[in-house]
Amino acid sequence: MAHRTSIKTLLAATALVTSASVAVAQDKPASLDVGVFTFMSGPAAAYGMPGRQGAEVVIDMINAAGGIDGVPISATFVDEGQGAEGVISEYRRLAEEPETDFMIAALSSGNCLALAPIADQMEMPTVGWNCDSHQLFADAEHPYFFRPNGNTIAEFMAYVIYFLDNNPDVERVAIINPDYSFGHDAAEIVKASLAAFKPEVEIVAELFPKLGSSTYQTEVSRLSAARPDVIFSNLWGGDLENFVRQAAPRGLFRQSQAVFALGESSMNNVDMPEGVIVGVLGDGWWRSPDAAELGAPEFAEAYQTKFEKAPVFPAMKMANAFMVMKAGYEKAIEANGGAWPTDEQLTAAMEGMTIDTLTGSMTFRADNDGIVDQVVGMVGSVEGIEGPVLTNMVRYDGDAVLPPEGEDPMAWIASLTPDFIAAMPKPGSYE
Amino acid sequence: MNRTLTLSGVALIILALAPQIFPFLQFTLTIAIAKGFAALGVALLLRAGLISLGHAMYYAIGAYAAAFMAQKLGITDFAVIMIAATVISAFFGLVFGLFLVRYRAIFFAMLNLAVSMVIYSLASKLYGITGGTDGLRVAVPTIFGMELSKDAFDGVLYYVSIVLVVALGYLIHRYLKSPLGNALSAVHSNEVRLEYLGVSAWSSLLTAYTISAALAGVGGAIAALSIGHVLPEYAFWTESGHLVLTAVLGGIAGIAGPFLGSVFLELIHTIAVGFAAEAWNMIVGVALLVVIFFLPRGLFGLFERLSGQKATDGEPKL
Amino acid sequence: MLQSIIPLAVDALANAALIFFVAVGLTLVFSVLRILNVAHGSFYSIGAYVAASVGLWIVGAGLPDWLTFPALLLSAAFVAALFGPIVEKTLVSWTYGKSEAVQVLVTFGLFLILEDLQRIVFGIQSVYQDTPMTMLGISEIGGIVYLNYQLLLIGLAGVVLVALRLFITRSRTGRLLAAVVADREVSEALGIDTQRMFMIAFTLGVFLAAIGGAMATPTTGVAPGLGADTMVLAFAVAAIGGLGQVEGAAIASIIVATAKVLAIYFAPSLDAVAPYLVMLAVLLVKPYGLFGSGSTRKI
Repeated sequence: MAHRTSIKTLLAATALVTSASVAVAQDKPASLDVGVFTFMSGPAAAYGMPGRQGAEVVIDMINAAGGIDGVPISATFVDEGQGAEGVISEYRRLAEEPETDFMIAALSSGNCLALAPIADQMEMPTVGWNCDSHQLFADAEHPYFFRPNGNTIAEFMAYVIYFLDNNPDVERVAIINPDYSFGHDAAEIVKASLAAFKPEVEIVAELFPKLGSSTYQTEVSRLSAARPDVIFSNLWGGDLENFVRQAAPRGLFRQSQAVFALGESSMNNVDMPEGVIVGVLGDGWWRSPDAAELGAPEFAEAYQTKFEKAPVFPAMKMANAFMVMKAGYEKAIEANGGAWPTDEQLTAAMEGMTIDTLTGSMTFRADNDGIVDQVVGMVGSVEGIEGPVLTNMVRYDGDAVLPPEGEDPMAWIASLTPDFIAAMPKPGSYE
Repeated sequence: MNRTLTLSGVALIILALAPQIFPFLQFTLTIAIAKGFAALGVALLLRAGLISLGHAMYYAIGAYAAAFMAQKLGITDFAVIMIAATVISAFFGLVFGLFLVRYRAIFFAMLNLAVSMVIYSLASKLYGITGGTDGLRVAVPTIFGMELSKDAFDGVLYYVSIVLVVALGYLIHRYLKSPLGNALSAVHSNEVRLEYLGVSAWSSLLTAYTISAALAGVGGAIAALSIGHVLPEYAFWTESGHLVLTAVLGGIAGIAGPFLGSVFLELIHTIAVGFAAEAWNMIVGVALLVVIFFLPRGLFGLFERLSGQKATDGEPKL
Repeated sequence: MLQSIIPLAVDALANAALIFFVAVGLTLVFSVLRILNVAHGSFYSIGAYVAASVGLWIVGAGLPDWLTFPALLLSAAFVAALFGPIVEKTLVSWTYGKSEAVQVLVTFGLFLILEDLQRIVFGIQSVYQDTPMTMLGISEIGGIVYLNYQLLLIGLAGVVLVALRLFITRSRTGRLLAAVVADREVSEALGIDTQRMFMIAFTLGVFLAAIGGAMATPTTGVAPGLGADTMVLAFAVAAIGGLGQVEGAAIASIIVATAKVLAIYFAPSLDAVAPYLVMLAVLLVKPYGLFGSGSTRKI
């Protein structure tokens, strides 16, 4: 059931070569086949499965509304839990299949870094649904790879601003992050931000447990002994849940203010004490005032109906990635006079695009990096809503916390002063 | 023997034509050949009755060597990368082998595993050199100064790999027929008698071990250039287990066995991913048990039997 | 000074207890059967899954919470009874007298099958049941709060070590096992039913793996991939102590745990590498492990 025969592709390719300037009408496919990469096994599935479920719900919603220009979306899910070698092989395998039109990949930053150049090599339009590493676009341009969410600089600096505003007396900070670039990068960003905003703060412990560790007892002892005012962590998924389960009974969160950068995705699975600072690495909190006007509650309701639980931010990020893809196609189709776009036309349309996602506004910069706001809050409860929610929220403007294009991000942080924080909105200013 | 040659020839022709008919198979088959080289290395040691649970480290070393040269040293020539990656793997094999080939049986397996896990954890730790758990990107190499697109390079890589299968396969065949190669089976069957004959088991094994590391390195380099990214998990112990499995599944008696096993596994994987991704390991595990219990000569033996050829006496067994 | 050493020691022992449970079964099976059971880690994670599931069922069914303690033990016994005899009789016994390559491959095949079996039966989300931990409460040692459950595990590891030693030296079955370990042929000539001994030893090994997994669940979740990770740790500890040495495994656990704890306190970046660096250091000096001896070469 190939919807394009290879002969047609060949003809199209030949046509492209011979008359590159002439717009080529691409056949409209019977379905828009998307490869979706997320963790469906291993401890990271605690974060990856909501992503997959978010994809299923948003695909249903888009298809129910007539698909993209009448073309329904059909997804092939690939498990990142099989290891990066398998992930890369699977990406290449899918990309070489003529049916595959688009990729939404990936969850792990290591996989994102690996897949971005392959997307370029294979000229496969790809949206990184959960690629945060600021290193993604640091070394090279990736014309076929788009990231519709803020990068690690904006994300982790937002937490430092928040906890410095919230705990102005903080003197001792401890960091416990997973032992891979995501964890190490975050630690560097937190340390650099503190050095810029409050140089007298001391880093009393810096721990990097192995990704996928099940036991954190020694780390908990070490953190207790260090007596930090604030514990920052970007542990996530099963790792974060195990850490919280082991640390909470040992009184760690009574002793120190915990900051869990990816906490929102775990707060329904594990008993997180009220007052812990959590966020969504971007604006993907579906109950936020902006999201309420952009269709997130409808999405959440469909999600609740299908999976009997509320969506967490990985589900929102995934759904937003699909919204970006949809907007890209629609813009390209319009620019192409209503005809289905080629891959080149699609990527050209996505460059510099501004769209409303389900939770806020997103703009692609010239380097294909997305600008989104950063929502940070605290675990709390609200009458009438079952389960924990974000309270005492703040919404930082995406542009303000993102290093200017082309500037070295760490040098940019170092150039900031405490005045930078003073100009920022305060915790509790966004309800 | 002629029959085996004809069979191998037919298999090679099929291999060479397959991507022309099914272009998406090219990548799968490239990886299959890469792993086939590593499995061939493992098979050499299995002839001597030595099971290495750490050979994925040489695959990883070959892959990292290729990536490191391309990314950190600015060496972009395809031939230089392939040769250097092979030499580096062989060098590591020689150095580790000096210590490892003194041991037999389970201790050989365990010590290989131990060394490979150190390599694995170092690869995930040394950010400056190996890129840590994110690994290293491998740029598309140049061929004699020519810059190629990834697509064109992949085609070249595939056919070069097939040529390497023939060339290295022939060399290994000659090696196994030589006294040095014959000594391997003798280590397995009767090591003491071998030493009475004045042949040093240690040096025979060290030679075999170094060759096996070099073969794994060739495979690793091919895989690195094809996938475009190298990662610590190339060296994880389950990968080593899969290499042994591939060798045994294909059969360790001939050169073709490990390649046959590897192509078979990768093709099955490609098919299984669609509908039985959950049970992939289970399928492989059952296949392994079936082969060990019922087909001690592996798939290669099965093919030979189907084509009416009998097992030759004195061929290596597990 | 003492103030800071005490928490270090407690952490090291608490870690050592968990690690000891991982490795002791592997080394015991090797000492009797001379087989390296690559599927050992899978029995560990199956033990963890079953214990967590049973615990969740007990709490869900409204039964008294204290039942979760015996449930840990019974879950491990159940796993051992379910897998031990049948795996030994059908797969492992077939490899006796065959080359190590065959033995390793057969158990590797079993490992692959069991890994997917767990995914199919228990799903992919991590399973977690902490009633035993919360029931026991906490204690403060050297200014740091510990879970009493951690302290209990240290005690339990000691009990298992002593019980194994007593079983091997005092009980009739244990002595027969020791005889088989010492000399298989002579034991057979003396009329010892070695087949039965092998089955008992293998089942005991499965039980020890499963109890290790079960004991770990109240403080750690269990998720796919645990088996493979556990396996390498077990390899490392067994190799350091000397394959087949039960006391060796205990001492190796303490060494590895101490290295890990010191790394976390003083050189966090070495945390994950610590067990393997210790292993390499020990094996470079003593290739058969601290207490092991190599098998003689084949004639």
